[in-house]
This record gives sequence, C-alpha cells and structure tokens, in this order.
Amino acid sequence: MRAKTITDLLCKGDRVAVSNITGREANKVTTITQHYANNIVGGWALGKGGRRIIVEKNISIPVFSDYNELLEKLPEKKWPNKIIIYSPPEAVYGDLKNVVNSSAENVETIFIITENVSVEVSAKIRNLCNEKNIDVLGCNTLGVINVTDHVRVGAVGGDQPEETFHPGSATIISNSGNMVNTMAAYLYGAGIGVRFGISTGKDQLILTPLKDILELVRNDKKTKVIILYIEPGGLYEQIALQWMKEINFHIPIIVYVGGTIADETNLSLGHAGAVAEGNGTRAKEKIELFDNYFDFPPYIRGKHLCRTKKPTRGFRIQALHDLPDAVRALYNKLEIDRDYKHYKPLKLNPWLKNMGKLAKTLSPKLVISDGIIPASYKKKFSYVLKKQFGKVITSRNMKNASHASSNDGENPRIYGEKTTDLMADKSFEYSLILSWTGYPPSNEFETELVKQTLVAAFTNGPGTISAQGAKLSASAGNNPHTAMIATLATIGSVHGGNGSKATEFLMKIFANSKLVDPYNPRSKRIVDKAVLDCVKKMSKAKQMSKETDIPFEKVPCLGHPVYRNNDVNYDPRERIISQYLEKNNIYHAFFDFYHQLAAKMKKEGITNNVLAVNVDAAIACIWLGICWHLLFEKKITVARTKNIPFLAFALGRAAGGAAEYLDHADYGSAMDMRIPVSECEFLNLPK
Amino acid sequence: MNHQISELTFLKQLAPRFAILTPEFIEWPAQRQRIQNCINKWSAAIAKPDILAGGRGKAGAMVKIDTAKDAIQTLQRLSSLEFKGRMARTSYLVEFIPTTYEVYTAITYDSRFLSPVITISLKGGVDVEQIKDTEKKTFPIDIYKGLDVYQAGDILNSLGCPDKLISPLARAVVNLWDLFITSGMQMCEVNPWRITSENKAVACDFKAVYDQANFKQKNPGFDWPEYPENISEFEEEMNRWNNKSYQGQAHVSDLSGKGILPLLFGGGASTIVIETLIQNNGDPMFLSDFGGNPPYERMYGTADICFKHKLADAKLLLILGGKANNTRIDVTFQAIADALAANAHLRDGRELPVIVGRGGPGLVLGVTAMQRALDELGWPYAIFGPDTPISMVAQYSADLYNYLTFHSQKA
Repeated sequence: MRAKTITDLLCKGDRVAVSNITGREANKVTTITQHYANNIVGGWALGKGGRRIIVEKNISIPVFSDYNELLEKLPEKKWPNKIIIYSPPEAVYGDLKNVVNSSAENVETIFIITENVSVEVSAKIRNLCNEKNIDVLGCNTLGVINVTDHVRVGAVGGDQPEETFHPGSATIISNSGNMVNTMAAYLYGAGIGVRFGISTGKDQLILTPLKDILELVRNDKKTKVIILYIEPGGLYEQIALQWMKEINFHIPIIVYVGGTIADETNLSLGHAGAVAEGNGTRAKEKIELFDNYFDFPPYIRGKHLCRTKKPTRGFRIQALHDLPDAVRALYNKLEIDRDYKHYKPLKLNPWLKNMGKLAKTLSPKLVISDGIIPASYKKKFSYVLKKQFGKVITSRNMKNASHASSNDGENPRIYGEKTTDLMADKSFEYSLILSWTGYPPSNEFETELVKQTLVAAFTNGPGTISAQGAKLSASAGNNPHTAMIATLATIGSVHGGNGSKATEFLMKIFANSKLVDPYNPRSKRIVDKAVLDCVKKMSKAKQMSKETDIPFEKVPCLGHPVYRNNDVNYDPRERIISQYLEKNNIYHAFFDFYHQLAAKMKKEGITNNVLAVNVDAAIACIWLGICWHLLFEKKITVARTKNIPFLAFALGRAAGGAAEYLDHADYGSAMDMRIPVSECEFLNLPK
Repeated sequence: MNHQISELTFLKQLAPRFAILTPEFIEWPAQRQRIQNCINKWSAAIAKPDILAGGRGKAGAMVKIDTAKDAIQTLQRLSSLEFKGRMARTSYLVEFIPTTYEVYTAITYDSRFLSPVITISLKGGVDVEQIKDTEKKTFPIDIYKGLDVYQAGDILNSLGCPDKLISPLARAVVNLWDLFITSGMQMCEVNPWRITSENKAVACDFKAVYDQANFKQKNPGFDWPEYPENISEFEEEMNRWNNKSYQGQAHVSDLSGKGILPLLFGGGASTIVIETLIQNNGDPMFLSDFGGNPPYERMYGTADICFKHKLADAKLLLILGGKANNTRIDVTFQAIADALAANAHLRDGRELPVIVGRGGPGLVLGVTAMQRALDELGWPYAIFGPDTPISMVAQYSADLYNYLTFHSQKA
C-alpha cells in the first residue's frame, strides 16, 4: 500500500474531490461532510460544470464538468489527494481511469462508494491502482471517518457524525457500513470513543483487505483496541490472522462474525466462488479461525473473563449487544484506561410504547418498563409531538397517483367513497368537505355552515375586482372558460386571500393552547385567555410602533368599518352565519375569539374604529373549525388548512363570476367595459 | 439474482461458440429412434437432469443407460426431479467419454489475489471439495492480459501434467477463459475435462454463475434458461419488484417461517437479526434487506408486497435496522406505516404486536409517523431507538413471539 499509517488513509488537511457530486446521495453526503470536516475542494459531474453545491450561506463547493477541468481551474495547492467515487456503476471505471491517468502523482487514495460495480471492473481497478501506487477502498464502501481529526469521507456517521463518533481509542473495521455506525454508538455507551471507523465494503473483492488495514493500524499509537465486524466470503481473515500470528500483532481485537445463517441456507453467497477458494470463507470457519488465533474463550455475557489468562489478543463476542460489556471487561483486564468515565449498559429502552391489553397478559419478564428518550432526541420529540402542528408529509412521486380520487373502472371515488353514493345520499357540501380534507364532516351542522360560506362568497357587487374580471372578459367577446379564468385570475392574496391569513393567525394563537374541540362551550375559557393575551401583545406592539415608527402587524379580516360610528359593527354576511350558530346553540371558539378581539381592541384603544369581523374571517373560522380535530390528530397538514379558506372563497366567487359573465354576455354591448381615453389620466413620473 | 447455467445450456449455446469440445447429447423429449441411434453410436450414454444443484452423481441422479427403453423412462423421471430444494428444468442424454485421465478447472475471482484465478487439479471427476489442497493449484490471471496458451501450458506443466496432454488441455482452458471473460461471468467450472484416446480434452460437465452487475451478461445471445425454482410467489413478486429499480434494496429469501414478519434494514443488521431470531426460535417468515435509502414509493411497494403475502398469518411484526447512515427513516417509516394501514384489513380485526427499532436521519419524524399509524390501528407496539441494540430487540421479539404462541396454544 501507498499508505504507511492509518492516518495516511485520511487525516486533517486532506483535499477531497467527489465524482458525480450532484447526484442525489453524493450531494447530500457532501454537504454534511463539508459541515463536519471541511475537506472537500470540489467535485465533478457530467454536464453540470459551473454549478455550486450550497453548503450554507456564503459557503459552497464548485462543480466542474469533469476531473480535468477540476485540475485546470483549481489552484495547484487545492489539487485533491483523496477521491470519492459516487459515479453510477457503468461510469466508475471511466471516472477512476481518468483520475489515475491525470494525476497519479497527487492522488493517494480512492474511495469507491458505488454499489453494483461488476467484479471484473473491481479487479481492473485494483490492477490499475496497484500499478500507479494508489490505494483503493471499496467498492461499495460507506467511507472512512478519522474521529480524532474530525474528518470523514463518505457517509459514515450519517447526517450527524458527531452524535455517534466521539474521539477515543477503538478503531472499527467493518464489512457492513451500517455496523460501523451502530458499533460506535454501543462503544460510546461503554465509555469508549472511536479513533477510526472504516467500512471496507462487502463486494466479492474487497480491494483493501483486512491485512492491509491492520498493517496501517499496527503503528497507530492511539488505537488501543480493534473492533471487527466480519461477514462470510473471501479469505481475508485467514490471510490477516496468519500474518498477525507471524508478527505477533499486539493490538487486542474484539470480533463479531455474522452470517452463520448463510452457511446453512446458502442465502447470499456465491457458493461456487467460496468452494474454489477453499476452506475459510464461511462464517463458521471464520469463527474457528478467530477463536484459534485468540486462544481465549468467546465472551459470555454476565460471566467474568478467564481469571488465569489475559486476553492479550482479544476475543470473540457472540451477540452484538455484548459489545459494551465485553469491551469494558477487556479494558479492565488489560488495564487500559477508558476514554470516558460514563458507563451506560445496554438495555431495552422503548422510546414509545403502548402494549394495550396485551401488557396485562404478559409474563413479568416480558413487560418492558417505560423507557427514557435520550436528551439528544428529547428536544426533537417534544417539537414534533407538541409544537409541530398538523400532519407532516413525506414527499413522493405523485405523477400517476392520487389520494383524492380514484376510478376502478366502474366507480369514480372521492377519498375512497363512491361518487354515486355521495350523489344519492349526501349533499354537495358533505362531498366538498370530504374532497378537501380527506375526511367526512364530523358534525352535521358543518355542511350548513359551508353552504353559507359558499353563497356568501358569490359576490360583493359588480364593482368587485373578480366580478370586473368576468365582465371585462365578456365585454371582450370571450368564451365562458376565459371569463372563469379572468375571475379566478383577479382574486389573490389581497382579494380573497385574507381567509388564509386569518387561518394562519388563528393557528398561531391556538396551536399550542389546550383547545381540543372548538365547538365545546367549555373552550370559552381558553378563548377568553387567548383574547387577553393577544390584546396584551398588540398593545405592546402598538407602543413599540409609536416609539420606532414601524407599523405593527394588523389582525387579518378585521376591518371594513362601514358603520364607523356605531357601537357595534358587523358584516351582514358574517351576521347570518353567527346568527345560525346562536340559533342552533352552537358554540364556535374561533367566531367567539374574533368577536371578542374586535370589541377588546376598541376598548383597549388599540384601534379607534369599531372593527367588523368580515366574511373572509367567517370563512376562515368555519373551515378551521372543520379542520381542527384533523390537525390535532395530525391527519391533515397546516398548509392544506391554510389553503382551504382561499379555495372556498374561490369556489363561491367562481359561481358569482359566472353569473356576471352570463349577465354581461346577454345584455352588454361589445367593448362596453372600455374606459374612454378622455377619462384616463396621464401622470408625470414623480421626481 | 445472478443468472446461473449448467451443462445443457453450455452444450447447446456456449461450447460451440468458443470451440470447446463436448460430448454429443440429446435433450428430452426426443424420439425413441433418435435415442436408439445415439445409444448405438456412442460407447455408452448417461442420462442427467438439467438442474442447478451439485452432487447429482452421488445422489443417483446421473444414470448410465443401456437401452432406449431405459433412457425414456429415466429421462422422463429425471426431467421432473427435485433435488436439494431445486427442481429440474428438463433432462438430457449425453455421450459417455471413456478416459483414464480427468482434469478439474475453475475460473473465478479470488480474495487472495484480488484478480481472476484459474484453479486446476489433475484429480478431476470428483467433487472439488474432496480434492486435497496439495493436489490442486490456483494461479492468478492478469485481468488486462488474460490467459494465453503458454501460461496455461506452464501451469499444467508445473502440476506434472503429462507432456502429450499439455497442448490440448492448454488450448481448452484458454478457450474456457475466453468464454468466462467475454460473457461477464463470476465463476465457471468444468469438472471434468476427459482426455480421449486421441488426446482431445472434452468438457464433460459445466456450471457457471454470471455477475449481474456486469454489462456483458445483459445480452448472452440466448434466452436465460428458466428453472422451475422452488420459490414462493412472495419471493417471485419481490424479485420482480427488486429488478425494476436500483433505488433501495428489496431482497427477500423465504424461510417458510410462521412466526415473525421481519422488515429489516441493512445487510449486516439483517444478518444479525435473523440469526438472533432463529437462535431464539423466533421462526422468522423470511430474510429481508430493505436498506439503501429507498424513496417513498419504492419502500411502500416493498412493504405492500410483504404485507399482502404475510400479514394475515404473522404473529408479530418486527421493523428493525441499525443506525442508518443514509436511509431516511421518516420516508421509509411513513411508507411502511401507510402500507400497513392499507393492508391492515387482512388481519380481519385481529391485532398484531409490532416491535420497531431504528436509528438514522429523520428518526423522530419516522417513529412518530409509525406511532400514529399503530395508534390508529389500535395494535400493541414498542418502538426502540438506536440506544437499544438490534440484537436485543430481536431477542425480545423472539421471546414475545414464543410467549404469545405458547399461550395461544394453551388457550
């Protein structure tokens, strides 16, 4: 090997370049690595030259169109000495050959992360790199982490390497990338940190075999113990153990050999390959080889290590969860100081559980007590469980998929309910609630409320912008669909969009309150308090605003002071809805909140006007009432809840716009919406 | 899955193309007269099943034939032979090549040399495992230069091969190398080469494993022989699904268990968990590895197939993996939770205990999504984080399964 010590494989100061850096995985891993190690000088991706991988504000990694361009454009002192190959399998050989041919003298190590590289290509890579004295790890390695130097290549440690990898005295060498991470976490529980974590890859040919890695670790003074995770296949261990015996290898090893199941079932190995290589490739044979090397019995949980003998060469563990106890026992026996004082024995620690009735029937041995969520996760949990409101969606490709509708060839369905059943038995408003929330209404009166909002949204007279849109279109001689577009194109965040803002405002206030059922009169207590808190905040904001001259944020959907001098000021459409609620003895927390807030703001002098709760607020309150329990149960998203009031307005207004179009198309004369030139005013640009 | 072929495909498709001498053969079914003619012409005939299993000879599945009647009866029987869990595709009659000299050869990739190697023994004709290490030799082959006839001659010479056989054998193994390297194989074996009285090397049995990752095997020049594998519908459907995309892994191997339905992540973790379950009588239904950071729709599809086939009969659902480096737990768990909800009706109202253990990116969102789904189903569950070792979770699951099974039997 070119490397002479383990730090030659990876250390601080290395300059790393990444192939196919813009790929899904490479891009993500590179960003995290740059945060952790700050060792990536650039990358290349076919046809993506000139882009940059954004790491954070003001920090980015340049992307070149190929490796040669990277060498041309980067200053010589930044030329990479380590290369990570993330190219697709068919491009691995070409990319690697280009690197080797262009800068064999600079590049020391190549890490091939790509999976599914053919064994023939692997053999060629080995041959090519051997000739040029370049070390290769992989293929299908997850990478390497040098914890002492706080650097990594590849994805070892996932998106939070610091959470698992704490500097220490154990070097992990594993055929499984996942096990590097998992074993590091177990070791830390035993007060042992990690010096190096190395994923060798587990393709048929492991291009840096175990013996070569052990030769590098051999001279590393910081490594006190080596932890191995071994799987069946190949004679890597046989060769390594033979050599270790010959040189009297001095670092103790704890090994876990997995895969005895494969011996019996021939599940995952190319058996013929193993046969051609002879004995020593199967898990059971590897176990024998290690036990023979250690000359020490395998670790048995709960039992003391052999008193008469020191496990100077180490020993084998038979269950992975024995690792912390075993490593601790080894350190004690060999009088090695642990890296950290803490010791957290591994145990069943359920983070979340609800064994329901089953718990009562179980034997005491199987009843698991409540667990403790570790501090590092607790914060995230409390955010997700308490503060994060509504459903969190995992994105997926929705091109040919829909939850909202389906058709099995016989029946179109809305969220699984047959359209024909809805037509026969349910109202339009029932279907609308189902169609927009994904769930049927939970109270009968909700359909009536929705009906009222739809009618209320029809029109606010021919002067409204959206009505004008339809009329202008009719006046220009357009078809109905163009007029519909014109109507919908003339509503927006200011005209019609206030309902969404009101919803956002209400969610902000009540999301973290104890409001569970907005129709329950007992919720009034919560509403009263929310009004007081809100007014208090506004009062403060108003005061601040006076001092700083910055206008304070207004409450959405309170306004339209038509009857300025009245004691009570109402939007007549909102009144109809409120009266329906009162008449039917339905308490509505959000309506109550809005009404109280308008009155209190006047009383506390936050405003001089008697503000009306407008119809947009009414629409928002009604739909938020419908959605509230779904949000609470995390069945729908906050974004959907915000969008619905606007869509409710748009749906009603589309019908109103259609009325304007039909009327105007019948009675209007062509171009009658035109404004004569004489009525248009020319303005000089203010200077 | 790597494609495998055995002697019959070699005889029909590959040997003629690479000028490798082989015995004559007839594939079953064949007319009686044709069989009779061959028996008359050949010094002797052997009936063999076309099956992907070694050790046929020892098991009596290779039968020396004397008459056409024998041949028809035997070929008929062998064509539907089941052996070592494998099933025959068809059967064939092959000419027996008399010899006094048999040679074993295999070409594969070797972990000692990290290159292709050829293994040769002059004690061919028996199972390779029976050949002593001292009687076979393995030589590395330069992947770029390949194997030429002089190198092959030197190797044979070093083994003590009689001079008169070196040339025909060297040419034969070079042809075998050409076949190996131009076809994208991972391993091929001729055992034995039989040397005729005219000093010709005849390949008398063959098997090969192709490397699925090698582009050369994508167009082999013939249709892949379809062996009636004794695999379940579940495995078949999952294999088809796995082959549709490289995104994420969807590997399963049916273990015919009746207890725990395991959705496992990561090769290492899957191995450890299944071993723990088996050691503790957890009776896992299958071995699985669903890691590799699958996107939502891939994971949903994978989980959906598992649930469609296995959820109704499962006694415990185990969703378990180590601390992922790349795989997004929020994405994979949401997909599993959605697939579980969509298939829960298969339980006919019977609750199913669910044990979950995982670590990695997006963990908190992932486990809360899983918790919501399980709460909605009203099934008992326990969810562990990465601070509980997977082997402990697996052991607990096995213990719980055993307890539940024992008590349901008692009831």
